[in-house]
Amino acid sequence: MKSVELSCKVNGRPVSLPVEPDTMLVDFLRGHLGLTGTKTGCREGECGTCTVLLDGMPVNSCILPALKAAGREITTIEGLARPDGSLDDIQEAFMDAGAIQCGYCSPGMMLTAKSLLEKNPNPSEDEIKHALSGVLCRCTGYRKIVQAVRDASCRK
Amino acid sequence: MSQNSEEKRQVKTLERERLDLGRLVKVGEAGLRIVGDSVRRTDDVLKATGKLKYAADYPQEGFLHGKILRSPYPHALIRSIDVSKARELPGVVCALTGGDVPGRNGFGAILPDQPVICQDKVRYIGDGVALVAAESERIAQKALELIRVEYEELPAVFDPRDALAEGAPKIHETGNQISLDKLRKGDVEAGFAQADVILERTYQVPFLEHAYMEPDCCWAIPQPDGTMMVEGPMQAPFAVRRNVAPVLGVPINMVRARQIHMGGGFGGKEDSPIDLCCRAAVLAKHTGRPVRISLEREEVTLQTCKRHPMIMELKVGVTKDGKLTAFKSTVYDEQGAYASLGPKIPPAGGSHVHAMVMSPGPYEIENCWVDAYLCYTNHPYGGAMRGFGAPQVHIAHEQMMDELAAELGMDPVDIRRKNAFKLGSKTATSQVLDQSVGLRETLDACEERFGWSQRSDSAGWVDAAKTKRRGVGVAMGWYRTSIGTGGDACGANVHVHEDGSVILYSGITEMGQGAFTVLPQICAEALGVELEDVRLVKPDTDLVPESGPTVGSRSTTLMGNAIILACRQVRESLDQKAAEMLGVEPERLVFCGRKVFDRDNPDGKALEFRQVAAAAMASGMRLIGQGWWAPPKASLDPETGQGSPYFVYTYSTHMAEVEVDVQTGEVTVTDYVAAFDVGKAINPKALEGQIEGGVAMGLGYALMEKVVLENGMPQNMSLQNYLIPTMLDMPDLKPLVLEQTNQHGPYGAKGIGEMPNIPATPAVINAVANACGGRVRSLPANPEAVFWAIRELGGPPQD
Repeated sequence: MKSVELSCKVNGRPVSLPVEPDTMLVDFLRGHLGLTGTKTGCREGECGTCTVLLDGMPVNSCILPALKAAGREITTIEGLARPDGSLDDIQEAFMDAGAIQCGYCSPGMMLTAKSLLEKNPNPSEDEIKHALSGVLCRCTGYRKIVQAVRDASCRK
Repeated sequence: MSQNSEEKRQVKTLERERLDLGRLVKVGEAGLRIVGDSVRRTDDVLKATGKLKYAADYPQEGFLHGKILRSPYPHALIRSIDVSKARELPGVVCALTGGDVPGRNGFGAILPDQPVICQDKVRYIGDGVALVAAESERIAQKALELIRVEYEELPAVFDPRDALAEGAPKIHETGNQISLDKLRKGDVEAGFAQADVILERTYQVPFLEHAYMEPDCCWAIPQPDGTMMVEGPMQAPFAVRRNVAPVLGVPINMVRARQIHMGGGFGGKEDSPIDLCCRAAVLAKHTGRPVRISLEREEVTLQTCKRHPMIMELKVGVTKDGKLTAFKSTVYDEQGAYASLGPKIPPAGGSHVHAMVMSPGPYEIENCWVDAYLCYTNHPYGGAMRGFGAPQVHIAHEQMMDELAAELGMDPVDIRRKNAFKLGSKTATSQVLDQSVGLRETLDACEERFGWSQRSDSAGWVDAAKTKRRGVGVAMGWYRTSIGTGGDACGANVHVHEDGSVILYSGITEMGQGAFTVLPQICAEALGVELEDVRLVKPDTDLVPESGPTVGSRSTTLMGNAIILACRQVRESLDQKAAEMLGVEPERLVFCGRKVFDRDNPDGKALEFRQVAAAAMASGMRLIGQGWWAPPKASLDPETGQGSPYFVYTYSTHMAEVEVDVQTGEVTVTDYVAAFDVGKAINPKALEGQIEGGVAMGLGYALMEKVVLENGMPQNMSLQNYLIPTMLDMPDLKPLVLEQTNQHGPYGAKGIGEMPNIPATPAVINAVANACGGRVRSLPANPEAVFWAIRELGGPPQD
């Protein structure tokens, strides 16, 4: 398959690389860029583990062709911390609440939470649950994740 | 920390039955600083920033990619197999069949009955018949399509009762029945004669998928000295090593197994890494190159172990005032194609014997009789999954308790309180529970917090239009700490350095449960240093002492004790040196917060921990400790199932409130309280995390989870159709933590990992029955099952 040049912004940095058209965004991020913080759990858009932000919106990067990201801005877990290196409120809140167990879903959870709080700084519990329900977690039972998002919204 | 996450975390220490803690920790030992504190997890930052490497994140340069050709038939003979075309494909480095396995062509957590590569027959869809290693996954996949296998189909067996029938197709040469285990206590017929009510019911549970978020991925790297190194997310590195060595035909010391942080395990990654590492190692041996095998989600479902399905036929007698008089049960425990973790390791190891021991529940019953069959079928195989046989049997006895209560017109809480274990109770195996029995306290705490009496009075229609009914359910449970095998034990090494820093070597693995935080907490507490002074060496069979598997809710307790004993050895040197330096008797020394001082003169001269360590080292004293701890000896008579199989148990009571849509059968869990007697919460927040996750998994078991099999073929292999609870399925859960000190536990602790999963399922099922009258005895209680359960009654209650 003939490669096509993909230009986009990843975690604030411009990136331009040739990719095969059937490359999914997650493989571009993990394989081409070495950003292995984004995980895969099902490769069919069901578990939400691979969630990244595309222009601030959560997307399942395992079913999104990488070329769809052309000219757009992608945020992965590696780009969630502040430019000065200090952690985002969401990261701090997840750790404080005990919302991370095996950690495999955590990048997807935290990025989805980030997108929610950008749009809705004071979400209700119900709004948090609806916004994050697309990311599956088998470890935590979700309670501490909901608490963490609520905590993060109070920190702002 | 913000206000919100501090809310309502309460750990209640029960003073009653307070015991002298015996050899390991003395009551009144200096106030605990680190144990009992909800410190942040040691691996949190790496996980929160995406820097932690899971297996799939490791570089793959130089690796070959292994793929497994799987049987499409549940039971067949292999007539011929031709891999020549696959070998010719450019990029393929080797294609192997059964004859190519260098050593023993078999692996298994307990019995090596599963072929690394099937040679003459296949026993389930998913059995491996050929292995390929190629330069890329795509090429390896393509090579599989070029392999020609001729099969001769054999009649298959999919029901354990059929497998036991005379003339059933033989799955293994040894026969389909792996074991019939028996439990006999008292005289069960005499018990039924004393009963006023006798009920007979059959309960059934399906295969369940662990659904850990991280699909399996393991690799093997041949080392220059001839050692084979295998790595991957694994719960039991020592069991992996124990299998890879004979498969390669080399001694155990020529295999090195290293754990990589797991993206969830839940028992499933006790088995699957044995499978993957054996296969990767065989490919690596043949090619002389590193070989990696990574499974897609569908392959995980096809190939790896599941929770055992069971059919449980119960007959239970009770007097009219609610006292249980006799318990009789026949259990058909379906092992599937391979033995995995089902069979017995004497005296009481293996999931099947554990299920039998637990099956009468946490109740005093004079007369018990259990026949428990474990048998092969041509289904995928059952392995360990959070509870190891206990969730299944709890689903039976806890439903039966409610059915008996309903028959007697009794409150489900009252019948449980009437029979529940207390200090001094005798279990169904006639084990006397002589310490740490907080079951009744969990019932009291749960009842109060949930408001059981008011709630149960308000069961009934939710809305005026009569579309939804509300109900409440209760379930109790018990779960062992330890695994009941003769060899159950843990070793730990602790090295203290001259600057006061510490290295802890432990073979207990991290799968999200928090071992890498809790174990250093125990080490820091025992030495009197800070948590950040302790660095944990990750499980590596070349470096750490044998620790057994990370299963059976054993890690905190068994490894915790081993760590304390290791620290004691180091402390002998430190005590002697500090006593010299302070001029006091060693017994008067207190080690706390990197300081060493005289207990009787706490405001006097204090030494720095590192000063003492440096002085001890400069005097040639031993600063290396090795702790080894084995629980009190397990026993279980093979004929009668009588004895003391596990040395201590965790206890729990759960209460659930549900709403049932009587038109659609859909169930919503609206409220939940779960109380536990945990001995001692080493890290209360991490412990709550175990509770919350375990309850969620139990709720999935109750309402939605089932591996659907058609002629041995899983029909729901992806997370699109194998449903697990999402955030929207979870009620507002309130965990209650009680501490009834375990005299054999580090600081009084006992296991928690599995317990929360166990009573959750029957609590929800009982609440559904309370709400709509319909009882689902064959799980899951999905909308269809609940719909029909209501229709069987002629519709929902009208009151």
